[in-house]
Amino acid sequence: MKERNHRPAVGWVCTLATAAVLAVVVFSLPRGTGPLPAIARYAMQVALPRWGTTEPVSEIVYGTRGFDTFGETFLLLAAVVGVAIVARSREARRGFIGEEVAGRREEAAVDKPDGPPSRDERVAERAEEQERGDESETAPDTPDRTPIGAPGPETAEAMTVVVRASVRFAAPILTIAGLYLVAVGYSPGGGFPAGAAMLGVALLAYVSLGYRRVEPVLRPDVVEPIELAGALAIAGLGLAGLLLAGSFLANILPLAAPETILSGGTMQAFSVVEFVEVATGLIIAVFGLLGMRDEWCR
Amino acid sequence: MPVIVANYLCAALLFCLGLFTLLTRRNLIKMVMGLSLMEASTYVLLLSLAYRPGSTAPVLLDMPPGKSPEQVADPVLQNFCLTAIVIGVAVTGVSLAVVVRLAQHYRTLDADEIRELRG
Repeated sequence: MKERNHRPAVGWVCTLATAAVLAVVVFSLPRGTGPLPAIARYAMQVALPRWGTTEPVSEIVYGTRGFDTFGETFLLLAAVVGVAIVARSREARRGFIGEEVAGRREEAAVDKPDGPPSRDERVAERAEEQERGDESETAPDTPDRTPIGAPGPETAEAMTVVVRASVRFAAPILTIAGLYLVAVGYSPGGGFPAGAAMLGVALLAYVSLGYRRVEPVLRPDVVEPIELAGALAIAGLGLAGLLLAGSFLANILPLAAPETILSGGTMQAFSVVEFVEVATGLIIAVFGLLGMRDEWCR
Repeated sequence: MPVIVANYLCAALLFCLGLFTLLTRRNLIKMVMGLSLMEASTYVLLLSLAYRPGSTAPVLLDMPPGKSPEQVADPVLQNFCLTAIVIGVAVTGVSLAVVVRLAQHYRTLDADEIRELRG
Protein backbone atom coordinates (compact mmCIF):
# COMPACT_ATOMS: atom_id res chain seq x y z
CA MET A 1 0.00 0.00 0.00
CA LYS A 2 1.39 3.38 -0.98
CA GLU A 3 1.55 5.63 2.00
CA ARG A 4 0.33 9.13 1.40
CA ASN A 5 2.33 12.10 2.61
CA HIS A 6 0.66 14.11 5.32
CA ARG A 7 0.86 17.86 4.60
CA PRO A 8 4.17 17.52 2.70
CA ALA A 9 4.48 21.30 2.22
CA VAL A 10 4.38 21.97 5.96
CA GLY A 11 6.85 19.15 6.54
CA TRP A 12 9.30 20.43 3.94
CA VAL A 13 9.11 24.07 5.07
CA CYS A 14 9.60 23.25 8.78
CA THR A 15 12.38 20.76 8.08
CA LEU A 16 14.24 23.06 5.70
CA ALA A 17 13.94 25.98 8.12
CA THR A 18 15.32 23.82 10.94
CA ALA A 19 18.07 22.58 8.63
CA ALA A 20 19.02 26.16 7.73
CA VAL A 21 19.27 27.18 11.40
CA LEU A 22 21.26 24.05 12.25
CA ALA A 23 23.59 24.60 9.29
CA VAL A 24 24.44 28.09 10.56
CA VAL A 25 24.93 26.86 14.13
CA VAL A 26 27.01 23.82 13.20
CA PHE A 27 29.83 25.90 11.76
CA SER A 28 30.15 27.97 14.92
CA LEU A 29 30.24 24.97 17.27
CA PRO A 30 33.54 24.39 19.10
CA ARG A 31 35.90 22.16 17.12
CA GLY A 32 37.68 20.63 20.08
CA THR A 33 40.61 23.03 19.98
CA GLY A 34 39.88 24.72 23.29
CA PRO A 35 41.06 23.36 26.63
CA LEU A 36 38.91 20.92 28.58
CA PRO A 37 36.13 22.62 30.55
CA ALA A 38 36.79 23.14 34.24
CA ILE A 39 34.33 20.44 35.33
CA ALA A 40 36.02 17.85 33.09
CA ARG A 41 39.46 18.75 34.42
CA TYR A 42 38.11 18.56 37.96
CA ALA A 43 36.71 15.08 37.27
CA MET A 44 40.06 13.90 35.87
CA GLN A 45 41.84 15.23 38.96
CA VAL A 46 39.57 13.90 41.70
CA ALA A 47 38.88 10.48 40.18
CA LEU A 48 41.96 8.84 41.67
CA PRO A 49 42.46 10.64 45.01
CA ARG A 50 38.84 10.99 46.08
CA TRP A 51 37.19 7.92 44.60
CA GLY A 52 40.13 5.60 44.00
CA THR A 53 39.03 4.84 40.44
CA THR A 54 40.89 5.13 37.15
CA GLU A 55 37.70 5.65 35.14
CA PRO A 56 36.71 9.35 35.04
CA VAL A 57 33.51 8.73 33.03
CA SER A 58 32.16 6.34 35.68
CA GLU A 59 33.41 8.76 38.31
CA ILE A 60 31.29 11.52 36.74
CA VAL A 61 28.25 9.29 36.25
CA TYR A 62 28.19 7.84 39.78
CA GLY A 63 30.31 10.38 41.66
CA THR A 64 30.63 14.03 40.67
CA ARG A 65 27.28 14.08 38.86
CA GLY A 66 25.74 11.28 40.91
CA PHE A 67 22.66 13.34 41.66
CA ASP A 68 22.00 13.67 37.93
CA THR A 69 22.22 9.88 37.57
CA PHE A 70 19.95 9.53 40.60
CA GLY A 71 17.29 11.57 38.82
CA GLU A 72 17.87 9.68 35.58
CA THR A 73 17.40 6.36 37.38
CA PHE A 74 14.07 7.43 38.76
CA LEU A 75 13.04 8.78 35.36
CA LEU A 76 13.76 5.31 33.96
CA LEU A 77 11.81 3.78 36.85
CA ALA A 78 8.86 6.08 36.12
CA ALA A 79 8.96 5.04 32.44
CA VAL A 80 9.11 1.35 33.41
CA VAL A 81 6.15 1.78 35.76
CA GLY A 82 4.32 3.58 32.94
CA VAL A 83 4.96 0.77 30.46
CA ALA A 84 4.02 -1.82 33.08
CA ILE A 85 0.72 -0.07 33.77
CA VAL A 86 -0.17 0.46 30.11
CA ALA A 87 0.86 -3.09 29.17
CA ARG A 88 -0.77 -4.82 32.11
CA SER A 89 -3.58 -7.23 31.37
CA ARG A 90 -7.06 -6.47 32.58
CA GLU A 91 -7.29 -7.85 36.09
CA ALA A 92 -10.01 -10.25 37.09
CA ARG A 93 -12.63 -8.60 39.25
CA ARG A 94 -12.61 -9.77 42.82
CA GLY A 95 -15.79 -10.26 44.76
CA PHE A 96 -19.44 -10.30 43.91
CA ILE A 97 -21.38 -7.17 43.07
CA GLY A 98 -24.80 -8.64 42.47
CA GLU A 99 -24.99 -8.96 38.69
CA GLU A 100 -26.16 -12.57 38.95
CA VAL A 101 -29.24 -11.70 41.02
CA ALA A 102 -29.98 -8.66 38.88
CA GLY A 103 -29.73 -10.61 35.65
CA ARG A 104 -31.69 -13.68 36.71
CA ARG A 105 -35.09 -12.46 35.61
CA GLU A 106 -33.83 -11.27 32.23
CA GLU A 107 -31.99 -14.54 31.74
CA ALA A 108 -35.13 -16.52 32.53
CA ALA A 109 -37.08 -14.49 29.96
CA VAL A 110 -34.56 -15.13 27.20
CA ASP A 111 -33.31 -18.62 27.98
CA LYS A 112 -36.15 -21.12 28.12
CA PRO A 113 -34.51 -24.39 29.10
CA ASP A 114 -37.34 -26.57 27.73
CA GLY A 115 -37.86 -25.05 24.30
CA PRO A 116 -35.74 -25.65 21.21
CA PRO A 117 -32.54 -23.56 21.02
CA SER A 118 -33.11 -20.21 19.36
CA ARG A 119 -31.14 -19.12 16.30
CA ASP A 120 -28.84 -16.87 18.36
CA GLU A 121 -28.14 -19.69 20.76
CA ARG A 122 -27.16 -22.04 17.96
CA VAL A 123 -24.82 -19.44 16.45
CA ALA A 124 -23.20 -18.83 19.83
CA GLU A 125 -22.79 -22.54 20.48
CA ARG A 126 -21.20 -23.11 17.09
CA ALA A 127 -18.78 -20.21 17.62
CA GLU A 128 -17.86 -21.55 21.04
CA GLU A 129 -17.19 -25.00 19.63
CA GLN A 130 -15.00 -23.54 16.92
CA GLU A 131 -12.96 -21.61 19.47
CA ARG A 132 -12.52 -24.70 21.56
CA GLY A 133 -11.30 -26.50 18.47
CA ASP A 134 -8.64 -23.80 17.93
CA GLU A 135 -7.36 -24.27 21.45
CA SER A 136 -7.12 -28.04 21.36
CA GLU A 137 -4.83 -27.86 18.34
CA THR A 138 -1.76 -27.42 20.54
CA ALA A 139 1.65 -26.90 19.02
CA PRO A 140 4.58 -29.15 19.92
CA ASP A 141 7.10 -27.76 22.40
CA THR A 142 9.88 -27.45 19.87
CA PRO A 143 9.95 -27.58 16.08
CA ASP A 144 12.16 -30.68 16.31
CA ARG A 145 9.04 -32.77 16.99
CA THR A 146 7.12 -31.39 14.02
CA PRO A 147 6.75 -34.18 11.46
CA ILE A 148 8.63 -33.64 8.23
CA GLY A 149 6.40 -32.17 5.55
CA ALA A 150 3.93 -30.72 8.03
CA PRO A 151 2.14 -27.76 6.52
CA GLY A 152 2.18 -24.21 7.45
CA PRO A 153 4.14 -21.81 9.55
CA GLU A 154 5.87 -23.25 12.55
CA THR A 155 3.75 -22.88 15.64
CA ALA A 156 6.15 -24.22 18.27
CA GLU A 157 7.14 -21.78 20.97
CA ALA A 158 10.84 -22.68 21.08
CA MET A 159 13.31 -22.68 18.18
CA THR A 160 15.19 -25.64 16.73
CA VAL A 161 17.90 -27.55 18.55
CA VAL A 162 20.59 -25.73 16.55
CA VAL A 163 19.48 -22.32 17.82
CA ARG A 164 18.91 -23.57 21.35
CA ALA A 165 22.37 -25.12 21.55
CA SER A 166 23.99 -21.95 20.17
CA VAL A 167 22.18 -19.79 22.70
CA ARG A 168 23.11 -22.16 25.53
CA PHE A 169 26.70 -21.64 24.45
CA ALA A 170 26.54 -17.87 23.88
CA ALA A 171 24.37 -16.78 26.81
CA PRO A 172 26.84 -17.65 29.60
CA ILE A 173 29.62 -15.83 27.74
CA LEU A 174 27.43 -12.75 27.30
CA THR A 175 26.38 -12.93 30.95
CA ILE A 176 29.98 -13.01 32.11
CA ALA A 177 30.88 -10.16 29.74
CA GLY A 178 28.02 -8.08 31.16
CA LEU A 179 28.98 -8.84 34.75
CA TYR A 180 32.59 -8.00 33.92
CA LEU A 181 31.51 -4.56 32.69
CA VAL A 182 29.95 -3.74 36.03
CA ALA A 183 32.31 -5.64 38.35
CA VAL A 184 35.56 -4.24 36.98
CA GLY A 185 34.61 -0.65 37.68
CA TYR A 186 38.07 0.83 37.11
CA SER A 187 37.88 0.29 33.34
CA PRO A 188 35.16 1.61 31.00
CA GLY A 189 31.75 0.09 31.58
CA GLY A 190 29.45 0.45 34.54
CA GLY A 191 25.89 -0.37 35.41
CA PHE A 192 24.11 0.96 32.30
CA PRO A 193 25.83 -1.06 29.53
CA ALA A 194 25.94 -4.13 31.80
CA GLY A 195 22.19 -3.86 32.40
CA ALA A 196 21.57 -3.61 28.67
CA ALA A 197 23.74 -6.74 28.14
CA MET A 198 21.57 -8.61 30.66
CA LEU A 199 18.46 -7.64 28.72
CA GLY A 200 20.16 -9.10 25.63
CA VAL A 201 20.76 -12.41 27.45
CA ALA A 202 17.13 -12.50 28.63
CA LEU A 203 15.86 -11.84 25.09
CA LEU A 204 18.13 -14.52 23.60
CA ALA A 205 16.77 -17.05 26.10
CA TYR A 206 13.21 -15.91 25.37
CA VAL A 207 13.36 -16.21 21.57
CA SER A 208 15.21 -19.52 21.55
CA LEU A 209 13.58 -21.38 24.45
CA GLY A 210 10.14 -19.77 24.47
CA TYR A 211 8.37 -17.84 27.18
CA ARG A 212 7.36 -20.89 29.20
CA ARG A 213 11.01 -21.73 29.95
CA VAL A 214 12.07 -18.23 31.01
CA GLU A 215 8.85 -17.38 32.84
CA PRO A 216 9.90 -18.75 36.28
CA VAL A 217 12.86 -16.35 36.31
CA LEU A 218 11.43 -13.34 34.44
CA ARG A 219 7.89 -13.27 35.80
CA PRO A 220 6.84 -9.72 36.75
CA ASP A 221 6.26 -10.67 40.38
CA VAL A 222 9.87 -11.93 40.55
CA VAL A 223 11.55 -9.05 38.71
CA GLU A 224 9.47 -6.12 40.00
CA PRO A 225 10.47 -6.51 43.71
CA ILE A 226 14.13 -6.69 42.65
CA GLU A 227 13.70 -3.48 40.64
CA LEU A 228 12.12 -1.65 43.56
CA ALA A 229 14.73 -3.00 46.00
CA GLY A 230 17.38 -1.54 43.67
CA ALA A 231 15.65 1.84 43.67
CA LEU A 232 15.45 1.75 47.47
CA ALA A 233 19.15 0.84 47.70
CA ILE A 234 20.11 3.80 45.49
CA ALA A 235 18.05 6.19 47.60
CA GLY A 236 19.56 4.61 50.74
CA LEU A 237 23.12 5.05 49.42
CA GLY A 238 22.41 8.69 48.67
CA LEU A 239 20.87 9.38 52.04
CA ALA A 240 23.67 7.55 53.85
CA GLY A 241 26.13 9.85 52.08
CA LEU A 242 24.06 12.85 53.15
CA LEU A 243 23.97 11.73 56.79
CA LEU A 244 27.50 10.36 57.21
CA ALA A 245 29.62 12.45 54.82
CA GLY A 246 27.63 15.64 54.43
CA SER A 247 26.46 15.48 50.82
CA PHE A 248 24.07 13.32 48.80
CA LEU A 249 25.83 10.20 47.39
CA ALA A 250 29.17 11.22 48.94
CA ASN A 251 31.64 8.40 49.50
CA ILE A 252 31.01 6.58 52.77
CA LEU A 253 32.79 3.29 52.05
CA PRO A 254 36.51 2.74 52.62
CA LEU A 255 38.53 3.08 49.40
CA ALA A 256 40.25 -0.13 48.30
CA ALA A 257 43.53 -0.09 46.37
CA PRO A 258 43.07 1.37 42.86
CA GLU A 259 42.56 -1.06 39.98
CA THR A 260 40.92 -3.70 42.12
CA ILE A 261 37.30 -4.82 41.93
CA LEU A 262 36.46 -3.09 45.21
CA SER A 263 38.05 0.24 44.28
CA GLY A 264 35.68 3.17 43.89
CA GLY A 265 33.89 3.10 47.24
CA THR A 266 30.28 4.29 47.06
CA MET A 267 30.68 4.91 43.33
CA GLN A 268 31.20 1.21 42.66
CA ALA A 269 28.29 0.28 44.92
CA PHE A 270 26.06 2.75 43.06
CA SER A 271 27.19 1.25 39.75
CA VAL A 272 26.29 -2.28 40.89
CA VAL A 273 22.85 -1.24 42.15
CA GLU A 274 22.32 0.74 38.94
CA PHE A 275 23.08 -2.47 37.02
CA VAL A 276 20.33 -4.29 38.94
CA GLU A 277 18.00 -1.37 38.36
CA VAL A 278 18.66 -1.05 34.61
CA ALA A 279 18.64 -4.80 33.92
CA THR A 280 15.35 -5.45 35.73
CA GLY A 281 13.78 -2.21 34.47
CA LEU A 282 14.52 -3.01 30.83
CA ILE A 283 13.35 -6.61 31.30
CA ILE A 284 10.04 -5.45 32.81
CA ALA A 285 9.50 -2.90 30.04
CA VAL A 286 10.42 -5.17 27.11
CA PHE A 287 8.57 -8.24 28.38
CA GLY A 288 5.62 -6.04 29.26
CA LEU A 289 5.52 -4.86 25.63
CA LEU A 290 5.98 -8.42 24.32
CA GLY A 291 3.21 -9.78 26.51
CA MET A 292 0.56 -7.15 25.74
CA ARG A 293 -2.72 -8.93 25.17
CA ASP A 294 -5.38 -7.78 22.79
CA GLU A 295 -8.27 -7.46 25.18
CA TRP A 296 -9.24 -3.83 25.59
CA CYS A 297 -11.29 -3.46 22.48
CA ARG A 298 -13.98 -6.06 23.12
CA MET B 1 36.74 21.21 6.46
CA PRO B 2 37.70 19.51 9.73
CA VAL B 3 36.40 15.99 10.26
CA ILE B 4 34.44 17.05 13.32
CA VAL B 5 32.27 19.43 11.29
CA ALA B 6 31.17 16.43 9.24
CA ASN B 7 30.09 14.82 12.51
CA TYR B 8 28.07 17.90 13.43
CA LEU B 9 26.47 17.96 9.98
CA CYS B 10 25.62 14.28 10.37
CA ALA B 11 23.88 15.04 13.67
CA ALA B 12 21.96 17.93 12.07
CA LEU B 13 20.96 15.70 9.14
CA LEU B 14 19.73 12.96 11.49
CA PHE B 15 17.69 15.54 13.41
CA CYS B 16 16.12 16.90 10.22
CA LEU B 17 15.31 13.38 8.98
CA GLY B 18 13.60 12.62 12.27
CA LEU B 19 11.68 15.90 12.18
CA PHE B 20 10.56 15.31 8.59
CA THR B 21 9.40 11.78 9.49
CA LEU B 22 7.47 13.13 12.45
CA LEU B 23 5.80 15.86 10.39
CA THR B 24 4.86 13.99 7.24
CA ARG B 25 4.11 10.44 8.40
CA ARG B 26 0.85 9.56 10.08
CA ASN B 27 1.75 5.95 10.91
CA LEU B 28 2.30 5.98 14.68
CA ILE B 29 5.17 3.47 14.56
CA LYS B 30 6.95 5.61 11.97
CA MET B 31 6.39 8.69 14.13
CA VAL B 32 8.06 6.91 17.06
CA MET B 33 10.91 5.99 14.71
CA GLY B 34 11.25 9.67 13.77
CA LEU B 35 11.42 10.57 17.45
CA SER B 36 14.17 7.95 17.93
CA LEU B 37 16.11 9.42 15.00
CA MET B 38 15.97 12.86 16.63
CA GLU B 39 17.20 11.30 19.89
CA ALA B 40 20.03 9.57 18.02
CA SER B 41 21.15 12.91 16.59
CA THR B 42 21.74 14.20 20.13
CA TYR B 43 24.00 11.22 20.86
CA VAL B 44 26.12 12.02 17.79
CA LEU B 45 26.23 15.71 18.69
CA LEU B 46 27.21 15.16 22.35
CA LEU B 47 29.95 12.65 21.51
CA SER B 48 31.28 14.92 18.74
CA LEU B 49 31.39 17.87 21.15
CA ALA B 50 33.56 15.74 23.46
CA TYR B 51 36.19 15.37 20.71
CA ARG B 52 39.66 16.89 21.13
CA PRO B 53 42.18 16.55 18.27
CA GLY B 54 45.04 14.19 19.11
CA SER B 55 43.52 13.23 22.44
CA THR B 56 42.95 9.83 23.99
CA ALA B 57 40.09 8.21 25.86
CA PRO B 58 39.44 9.63 29.35
CA VAL B 59 40.76 6.57 31.18
CA LEU B 60 43.59 6.93 33.66
CA LEU B 61 44.40 3.22 33.47
CA ASP B 62 47.27 2.56 31.03
CA MET B 63 47.38 6.08 29.62
CA PRO B 64 49.30 5.91 26.31
CA PRO B 65 52.87 7.23 26.54
CA GLY B 66 53.16 10.94 25.84
CA LYS B 67 49.56 11.71 26.80
CA SER B 68 48.67 13.63 29.94
CA PRO B 69 45.27 13.58 31.68
CA GLU B 70 44.72 16.99 30.07
CA GLN B 71 44.77 15.52 26.54
CA VAL B 72 41.59 13.48 26.70
CA ALA B 73 38.11 13.60 25.23
CA ASP B 74 35.65 15.44 27.47
CA PRO B 75 34.28 12.81 29.93
CA VAL B 76 31.40 15.04 31.08
CA LEU B 77 29.82 15.07 27.62
CA GLN B 78 30.19 11.29 27.43
CA ASN B 79 28.20 11.15 30.66
CA PHE B 80 25.55 13.38 29.07
CA CYS B 81 25.36 10.99 26.13
CA LEU B 82 24.71 8.10 28.53
CA THR B 83 21.93 10.14 30.14
CA ALA B 84 20.47 10.93 26.72
CA ILE B 85 20.45 7.24 25.77
CA VAL B 86 18.58 6.29 28.94
CA ILE B 87 15.99 9.02 28.38
CA GLY B 88 15.67 7.94 24.74
CA VAL B 89 14.96 4.36 25.85
CA ALA B 90 12.36 5.62 28.34
CA VAL B 91 10.60 7.80 25.75
CA THR B 92 10.60 5.07 23.07
CA GLY B 93 9.37 2.40 25.50
CA VAL B 94 6.43 4.41 26.79
CA SER B 95 5.49 5.64 23.29
CA LEU B 96 5.50 2.11 21.87
CA ALA B 97 3.34 0.82 24.73
CA VAL B 98 0.82 3.61 24.11
CA VAL B 99 0.92 2.97 20.34
CA VAL B 100 0.12 -0.73 20.83
CA ARG B 101 -2.85 0.13 23.03
CA LEU B 102 -4.06 2.75 20.51
CA ALA B 103 -3.80 0.21 17.72
CA GLN B 104 -5.76 -2.36 19.73
CA HIS B 105 -8.43 0.14 20.65
CA TYR B 106 -8.96 1.87 17.30
CA ARG B 107 -7.87 -0.98 14.98
CA THR B 108 -5.63 1.42 13.07
CA LEU B 109 -2.13 2.89 13.26
CA ASP B 110 -3.06 6.00 11.27
CA ALA B 111 -2.97 9.02 13.57
CA ASP B 112 -5.49 10.80 11.32
CA GLU B 113 -8.11 8.12 11.82
CA ILE B 114 -7.81 8.30 15.57
CA ARG B 115 -10.20 11.20 15.84
CA GLU B 116 -9.84 11.70 19.59
CA LEU B 117 -6.22 12.73 19.05
CA ARG B 118 -7.35 15.81 17.09
CA GLY B 119 -7.33 18.86 19.24
